[in-house]
Amino acid sequence: MTIPGDAQKRIDAYLARLRQMLRGMNREDARDILEELSSHITEKAAATGGQVTASGVDDALARLGSPEDLASQYLTDALLARAEVSRSPLRIIESLFRWASLSFAGFIVLLGSIAGYFIGGALILSAALKPFHPQTAGLWIFPEGAVNTTISLRLGFGNPPADGRELLGWFIVPAGLVLGCGLVTLTTRSALWCIQLYRKSRILPRG
Amino acid sequence: MDTAAKWEVQLRKGCLELAILAVLWEGKLYGLEILRRLESDSDLIMSEGTVYPLLSRLKALGLVRSEWVESDAGHPRKYYTITAVGKQRAREMTGVWKRFASSMSLLLAPVAKGNK
Repeated sequence: MTIPGDAQKRIDAYLARLRQMLRGMNREDARDILEELSSHITEKAAATGGQVTASGVDDALARLGSPEDLASQYLTDALLARAEVSRSPLRIIESLFRWASLSFAGFIVLLGSIAGYFIGGALILSAALKPFHPQTAGLWIFPEGAVNTTISLRLGFGNPPADGRELLGWFIVPAGLVLGCGLVTLTTRSALWCIQLYRKSRILPRG
Repeated sequence: MDTAAKWEVQLRKGCLELAILAVLWEGKLYGLEILRRLESDSDLIMSEGTVYPLLSRLKALGLVRSEWVESDAGHPRKYYTITAVGKQRAREMTGVWKRFASSMSLLLAPVAKGNK
């Protein structure tokens, strides 16, 4: 099939933009997507008159939507599919980085999820290390003057703090494990809920 | 876009996964064929850009698989085939759809007749 130069330029420009937006995705998957869409655009553009024309290409591209919208659908759909198969926090964070590169909403969800996983992980680690560092691991409170106090979750490395007081004692083991696992689960579910909400908002045509 | 139009878009989108599995039920098709079938047999398609990411998702979930096949058109085409897991999912979704449609029809009967 012969494609005139100006029609080919339009296709190349669209696919180059899409390739750029999909750069966080697995390289093989991205190439597969671009080849499939290239095949679709060429065939769709030739469907009416048998010849690929610039206006036929423009029409085919308009029906596909902007490269940005298409890329965000691919990325959020891929993330949802992966999340349905594996709910690993590392996989979620990896995918949220891709989403964050596309939208401010993704950036906010990424920050919240990192905070959730960090605190949840610290609680679990603190509980797990308590038997090895019984004097220093746990939840500590440090009074700073009459008004301010600092609460710190310590893993127990280093010397016992001189001016602090441990709050929970051995109770940090069950509390840390339950709260930590709960927070990790809650963070995963919240991240997935936000992604689903974003995906639903993106499939609605603007207007 | 008004509320009714948004609701219609969400409804169509919600049905699209089952519709794709249904058109693949009888054999393998490539992307544009799937789109044409959906356009001719239903009015589910709002944007062609919605179908390709969804196919990619169905593949990641193991509900369909894909293969590149050389064609007479001068370029290869990516064909999709429904898997055994996809067929099972389609059967389950069809069961839910039938129950849902039947109960909604009963509920909507007075509205459709226009009775007060």
